Amino acid sequence: MGDSVTTNQPIEKRPRKQVEYNIILCSGPSCLHNKSSELYTEIVKQLEAFNCQSKVEIILSGCLGMCARGPIMVINPGYILYGDVGVNDVHDIIKGHIVDKTPFSQKVIHEDHLFNRFYRVFGDVKFFGKQMRIALRNCGIIDPEKIDDYLSVRGYEALAKVLTDYSPAEVIHQIQDSGLRGRGGAGFPTGLKWKLTADAEGEVKYVICNADEGDPGAFMDRSAIEGDPHSIIEGMLIGGYAVGAKKGFLYIRAEYPLAIKRLEKALTAAREQNFLGDNILGSNYSFDIEIRLGAGAFVCGEETALIQSIEGERGMPRPRPPYPSVRGLFDKPTLTNNVETWANIPVIILDGAKWFSTIGTKSSKGTKVFAVAGNVENTGLVEVPMGTTLREIIFDICGGIPGNRKFKALQTGGPSGGCLTEDSLDTQVDYESLAKAGSFMGSGGMIVMDDTTCMVNVARYFLEFTQNESCGKCTPCREGTKRMLEILTRITDGRGEVKDIEKLERLGAMISKASLCGLGRSAPNPVLSTLSKFRNEYEDHILHKKCTTGSCQAMLTYSINDQCIGCGACIRVCPVNAIKGIKRNPHTIDSELCIKCGECMKVCKFRAIDRV
Amino acid sequence: MKNPLEIIKVKRAEAINRILGRGYFSTKRVYVGMATCEIAAGSADVMEIFQTAIKNGLVDVYLSQKGCAGRCNLEPTVEVIEEGKIPVKYGLVDAGRAHEIIERHLKKGEVIEEWVIQ
Repeated sequence: MGDSVTTNQPIEKRPRKQVEYNIILCSGPSCLHNKSSELYTEIVKQLEAFNCQSKVEIILSGCLGMCARGPIMVINPGYILYGDVGVNDVHDIIKGHIVDKTPFSQKVIHEDHLFNRFYRVFGDVKFFGKQMRIALRNCGIIDPEKIDDYLSVRGYEALAKVLTDYSPAEVIHQIQDSGLRGRGGAGFPTGLKWKLTADAEGEVKYVICNADEGDPGAFMDRSAIEGDPHSIIEGMLIGGYAVGAKKGFLYIRAEYPLAIKRLEKALTAAREQNFLGDNILGSNYSFDIEIRLGAGAFVCGEETALIQSIEGERGMPRPRPPYPSVRGLFDKPTLTNNVETWANIPVIILDGAKWFSTIGTKSSKGTKVFAVAGNVENTGLVEVPMGTTLREIIFDICGGIPGNRKFKALQTGGPSGGCLTEDSLDTQVDYESLAKAGSFMGSGGMIVMDDTTCMVNVARYFLEFTQNESCGKCTPCREGTKRMLEILTRITDGRGEVKDIEKLERLGAMISKASLCGLGRSAPNPVLSTLSKFRNEYEDHILHKKCTTGSCQAMLTYSINDQCIGCGACIRVCPVNAIKGIKRNPHTIDSELCIKCGECMKVCKFRAIDRV
Repeated sequence: MKNPLEIIKVKRAEAINRILGRGYFSTKRVYVGMATCEIAAGSADVMEIFQTAIKNGLVDVYLSQKGCAGRCNLEPTVEVIEEGKIPVKYGLVDAGRAHEIIERHLKKGEVIEEWVIQ
């Protein structure tokens, strides 16, 4: 994250776009702005009058949920909300805000600086302009360790609304109508999951929050918990009420000490205010949450393995059915949702399923948080409405590939996902479209790779991860991934055999079909998808013993060219004494002894060392 | 008896009052990012510098921590909000920049443009 940047340089201003401001116009059902509406044309006209149309971008957004104060207009930087905007106000607003850099105060909705539900964006128009924050609505805005801050942004109001106005069945209806689907990866309809648990027989039921985030490069859940722990607690409280549970478990990995500390603090504060405990807010509903720490096993993110781990057993998945919604934790009906899913719940209750279902695509509603890492200019946490294209995320929001390199591939869905190439960049982000393009939504890890990345090595890396994390219960996963990893290691070491590609495909298909849980079933995905899209790289490695990107060290040979003046610098650093030569005469490298560490190349001042 | 919605309204009003009591209506509000990632990038030191400055007599500033907004490569981030002005978000704030933000922005009201995340 922030560790690799030096802090004494000014922040680079991206030259690509000169947009300095964006104006967001609400096009929701009561404001109804569109490109032909009077307000829109007036804005365009005024921008031209002040000659600042080139630095302003106008965005039509979905309902901002402030219909009472509409028409609403938001100007960034600053996320300054203008309410009740008439055509005659446009001149003053644009002159004030954009020309004189002072918000036009008569129309600013003042109380919304802290007390609003919406995200506050300071500067940073390019990064935040296309984002929409629902799950992360309070992250980076409120003080996560103070329940007062959460209360001030309508915290726990959704809970109170549910307890006052809704029966459990009505809550489930709301969630079903919203179209929310599980954000942990598979995208199971959340409302249906709730209904199944509510309908299951039994007095005692449980609710679980799955915060066992384990994908390499993913940190959405950590940020959500560290930035706004109460949202998740409130979501679980509503879930518990809907399915009839009195107890919740928050399963989080021990590697997240700060997140755990803030959760504990939040739970204590919530108990003090009677949001947790008996007869919550004077109602008949009682509920409490316990934190359970996981030891960091990837497989414990799988629902049934997670349940076993909470029970104190070894975290291993068990076959389904029976589904956890019928027989889960301690053999009782159990509702498990991911952190991000829970964080969406209070918003759906407060603003209504109807509003929520206007965001996103036909089959996937709402927003999705992605942790974008790898070869992009702005690594970071991004929340976009479903239906945003991958190109918009990588190139518009995250600023594209640094160092003038070329985009090569994008891995979504972590070690269970697949890689996507340039031609898939216009794929919209939703569960079905990503699956169709050959990847997987997953929990939201997104790793961008440029043309210096060796895809065989990437596949090997992900497989090494899943192989390490395989719990060992079922043979296809335990043995199959091991064999696949051996083959991949062989290929990257330059010892690949002609039949290896075929073997990988056969093994992969077998593991996908025969494994017990999602970990095994999806483990071959990175290999199979790189095989289908970058088969030529596998062939180069196997047939020509060549890694075109130079990533696979074993296939490189170092040699000394005629630039060598015989200074001896390389001889001194070579750890295995593979370089020989007399002073002031060209040296040579013994390729038998060379371990390809590259130290000689680093110290040579005369570019005399070649690497092929 | 009050219903839960009425109770929550009272609780929110109390919470807002407590926030105001902590000096929320100061002319300048400063938010320092304090998630694991920001702390790893050095925000704990930055926070301490602001705290020390307030202890040593910097007035009319409301200081608060905040979670991560997702701007990983520009962390630590510090936001300065002034009523009636366009809010400012500084990126890559280290100890040196924190001191300058206090001297130039918080004391003299000058926005240090080159560190602002545009």
